[in-house]
Amino acid sequence: MTFWNQGKALGRWALRAFSSATRSSRSATPKTVFISQSDDIFANLALEDWLYRHHDFSQHRILLLWRNGPAVVVGRHQNPWKETHVGALHDKQVVLARRNSGGGAVYHDQGNLNLSFLTSREGYNRRTNLTVVANALRREFGLEATVNDRDDLVLNGNYKISGTAAKLGRPNAYHHCTLLADVDLDNMKGILNSDDCGIETKATDSVRSPVANLSSMHPGLNVASLMGAVGREFLRSDDRGVDLGKSAISRQLGFTLVNPTDDWFPGLEKSRAELASWGWRFGKTPDFTVRREFAVPREMCVTEGAKLQVQMRVVKGRVASMSVTVPPGFVSNAPEGEVAVLSGLEGQKFSEEAVGLVEAAFAKKDKSDKKKRFVAECVRRVVQ
Amino acid sequence: MVVCSVVVRRLLAAAPAAPRHVFTGLRWVTSTPVKFNERKYTDKHEWVQVDGKIGTIGITHYAQDALGDVVYAQLPDPGQEFSQMDECGALESVKAASELYCPVSGKIVSKNTEVEDTPGLINKSCYEKGWLFKLELSKLHELDGLMDEAQYEKFLKTDDH
Repeated sequence: MTFWNQGKALGRWALRAFSSATRSSRSATPKTVFISQSDDIFANLALEDWLYRHHDFSQHRILLLWRNGPAVVVGRHQNPWKETHVGALHDKQVVLARRNSGGGAVYHDQGNLNLSFLTSREGYNRRTNLTVVANALRREFGLEATVNDRDDLVLNGNYKISGTAAKLGRPNAYHHCTLLADVDLDNMKGILNSDDCGIETKATDSVRSPVANLSSMHPGLNVASLMGAVGREFLRSDDRGVDLGKSAISRQLGFTLVNPTDDWFPGLEKSRAELASWGWRFGKTPDFTVRREFAVPREMCVTEGAKLQVQMRVVKGRVASMSVTVPPGFVSNAPEGEVAVLSGLEGQKFSEEAVGLVEAAFAKKDKSDKKKRFVAECVRRVVQ
Repeated sequence: MVVCSVVVRRLLAAAPAAPRHVFTGLRWVTSTPVKFNERKYTDKHEWVQVDGKIGTIGITHYAQDALGDVVYAQLPDPGQEFSQMDECGALESVKAASELYCPVSGKIVSKNTEVEDTPGLINKSCYEKGWLFKLELSKLHELDGLMDEAQYEKFLKTDDH
């Protein structure tokens, strides 16, 4: 029996068993906790998306628990270059992903637990979900977590331990959030930067907050124990987050391990490939302009305090136009002012590839290696 | 009272042609043909207003209120083609990213760049300045399956929305 047939059979049994057992609490939709076997961010995002698109949540709710290897996950309408040093991620072995829900950038590693509450559109209520999580933390770890007015879970009124985002469609919707169990916070702070990188854009911003790990408040707490605690609380709560008691757990559909592959979820691999593609991760960036100024070294220019400006217009992740404004006296054999380096750059991905082309373009204009390298270095810093 | 104001708005929005004067022998009688460009609605709380073959699409007051302040509008690009109920964009508010569904099949003719620059227009003026995109309908008969204003108002009163 395939997983899906099993799931359907379980669902039908549960509905029959449930409707007779719980006539007094009709607001408790049958529930299952899924735990993903994968730590690949793209496969897990694809799994969440698959369930959102294909499953009937009118009589069923799912809490999907998942964790990933190191990754920066930006919101659907964010600019990754504004949120992190994209060029440095590869060396740090951190991948960049873009999710389908809104909100700001987060950092995942194996110490972070992701929770996705999948429901019908009518069943969507993120405050209820966060209340269930807060109840779990209190019941099993004695931690005082509250939901603030930004719908963030905070510990002791101060520290953000969770980031939340949601996607609303019809007929389904989901709310997902992170939980900082035991994340490498130094790594996270280094990666989610807020340097002024000269980007002007309408992309959604991240709102920064002081964070803390749950394990710092309760030694021994880890992702595995958290999964159990939150899963059990979810199963024993009704649709409004009210606790029905421990015995309610056995009347639900329990925990199920799932594997995000085509065998289990037909079509998932295609979705994974799309989520991992450059076109989704970078090409979906809202159009932006980046403008940076660099002080020209004294020996390269007759004027004191001269500045070189690089400006680029980036559309769908590719350079649409670029101009370099040089100060007087910088380039001896070329006119001063703006040097439009358009040809050859248009259509190139906003990345190190653009740098190589600028170097080549300037080689024709000025034979001085130092100046050529300086301009190329400025462009490199613009594209990070 | 709401229905009254809605009916009045519709009449005002109709663009009357120049009055025709008919001489009946004793006095002039004026008859003004009225053209209704009435809005049609989907159960996903989007509206479409058709002029010839071009439809203007937006979201309803109920939808913008449920969304909260829109912080980003991701609209479809001119040239893209969609079938009825395809996902064609998204509106992000502080609460969530909500899908936009194309209410009728067709090819995108233009998008509202003012709304891209100032997403708040959707909240302030969802039927006028906050329109989202225009498309050339490929299947005009799809309009028959959509709700008119009265049906939509009734739909809002049910539990199923």
